[in-house]
Amino acid sequence: MATAPELLPYHQIREDLFRPLSRVSRRYLFVTLIAFIVGTAGLVAWGFQLRRGMGVTGLQRPVFWGVYIVDFVFWIGISHAGTLISAILRLTDAAWRKPVTRAAEAITVFALMIGAMFPIIHLGRAWLFYWLLPYPNSRLIWPNFRSPLLWDLTAIVTYVTGSIIYLYLPLIPDLAQLAAHNTPWRRRLYRALALGWTGSDREWHALERAMKLMACIILAVAVSVHTVVAWDFAMAVAPMWHSTIFGPYFVTGAIFSGIAALVLAMAIIRKVLRLEVYLTKHHFDRLAKLLLLMSLLWLYFTLAENLTVWYGNDPKEMAVFGARTRAHYAPYFWTMMFLNFAVPFVLLGIRRLRTITSATVASVSVLIGMWLERFVIVVPTLANPRLSSASSFYTPTWIEAAITAATFAAMAMLYMIFAKLFPIIAVWEFKPHPQEDD
Amino acid sequence: MYLIGEFKEKDAVAAAIRRLRASGIAPADLDVFSEEPVEFPRGVLDRPSRMSLASVSGAMLFGSLATAFIWWAQHNYSLVTGGMPVFSFWATGVITFEMTMLGAIMACFGWFLWESGLVRKRDRTAPVPEVDPGSMCLRVRCRGNDAAQAIDAMRTAGAIGVQRRGEA
Repeated sequence: MATAPELLPYHQIREDLFRPLSRVSRRYLFVTLIAFIVGTAGLVAWGFQLRRGMGVTGLQRPVFWGVYIVDFVFWIGISHAGTLISAILRLTDAAWRKPVTRAAEAITVFALMIGAMFPIIHLGRAWLFYWLLPYPNSRLIWPNFRSPLLWDLTAIVTYVTGSIIYLYLPLIPDLAQLAAHNTPWRRRLYRALALGWTGSDREWHALERAMKLMACIILAVAVSVHTVVAWDFAMAVAPMWHSTIFGPYFVTGAIFSGIAALVLAMAIIRKVLRLEVYLTKHHFDRLAKLLLLMSLLWLYFTLAENLTVWYGNDPKEMAVFGARTRAHYAPYFWTMMFLNFAVPFVLLGIRRLRTITSATVASVSVLIGMWLERFVIVVPTLANPRLSSASSFYTPTWIEAAITAATFAAMAMLYMIFAKLFPIIAVWEFKPHPQEDD
Repeated sequence: MYLIGEFKEKDAVAAAIRRLRASGIAPADLDVFSEEPVEFPRGVLDRPSRMSLASVSGAMLFGSLATAFIWWAQHNYSLVTGGMPVFSFWATGVITFEMTMLGAIMACFGWFLWESGLVRKRDRTAPVPEVDPGSMCLRVRCRGNDAAQAIDAMRTAGAIGVQRRGEA
């Protein structure tokens, strides 16, 4: 049986889903303006940092990786929403994915763009970022291909390229429809992006094949990208980083936070663009169950990681473990445990409590919790190095806070602009396909 | 010349294609236009694809080029590695993997553009029918003296209307 929105007449589906593109409400403008102001504040803070140097941040010996690396890992994790949700559900032909996939794919692209900014911000002298690229230069040297920094670069370039194509491909048929009826500048834009799509069976066949292939490829890339991010840490022989489970642990955390971001984005889109008929309790319920599953999986990895360290009782590792669980960083650690496990477990595990609102609350909780998780992984290890006399603390400054806040604003702004330019739900996929059952 | 038949049912389109092919019209001269993907039974209007092969080829090409480039760059400016190999596949395997996947992605996208005809229009003068929601159009390229037989085949199969357009 098809899901409820698919029973609507097609012209109504098209009207409902194209309508948000042509109207701009005051609420939309207000939220975009706020996001723009916060984003600009972040740019000003970055400009201040570029002018004064990295001394304006809280980074100091021995903690040279702080909030910027936390943000990098966090945003790359969020980007897993699109690939994992969209690609897996597409490959398994799950019919309920239809209103969800494009929202997820857009999150991937924007989160990656934002995440990829952080290594550049973290470099300090951002204008020299191109030294990472292997280009013939006057110094006759090449980048060190053994460096995880270069692994990150190649992984992110591949992932960004793949994600943009993966978002773009299923947009083409909708762009062709939009090209027919819109304002002149939009018509030109859509016509150019639609590449002359006519809806012939050759085009549909090629599109379906390409989408299936891309789904397979992007899945492998997504897993590899967050594994590479995990290896940035795990390849260092540092206490509580040098762990064989860091790859899957990070991938699990990434999927977990990605699903939370998707639920939050869907809840906002549903309200702001008035898409209650299309993004139903049914979709939130399924995503909530996935979120709960990932919460349990995340808990399992967290316990496995911490329990083995505690049982091993290695003094260097225990220094970090103690800092995380009992000392300076304990509030972050226990808040993380509460937000990532207790909140979703209660709100999503008890069926009576599992509503759209509770799923949204649980998602916000998970997003905060996962940011804290990245902080708890990155900072205590660096603050407690093997040379115990070099131990220190790290507190971010307003510069780092402003830049972090700006990235959230940038994400909101990019997403809202996207939702005004392109249908956030794939219209052509909504048509009932005779061969497809829910 | 071109004929454009409008249909409401997928089965009617399939029947029309079978009749047209039986009358000697090649699959390359048939195009179905719709606002959604339409699947026909195997053998009706198959569109063989080499997209998977293209993706694998792209992956192998990019992967090989990346590995060769790293090998060359590492030897072009040898770092002091303390007796360890200058080029190590394990230490650079991540880059090889990512470049391999990038090759697969680029080849897949490129092949999609090529195979779909979006960058390689076979006939720019061919008419593109306006498809109403819920209906399908079958475009047939045929010689003028075959037109009557083709129109008859489409009408018999269930076309609700057939139009003649352009010259072949």
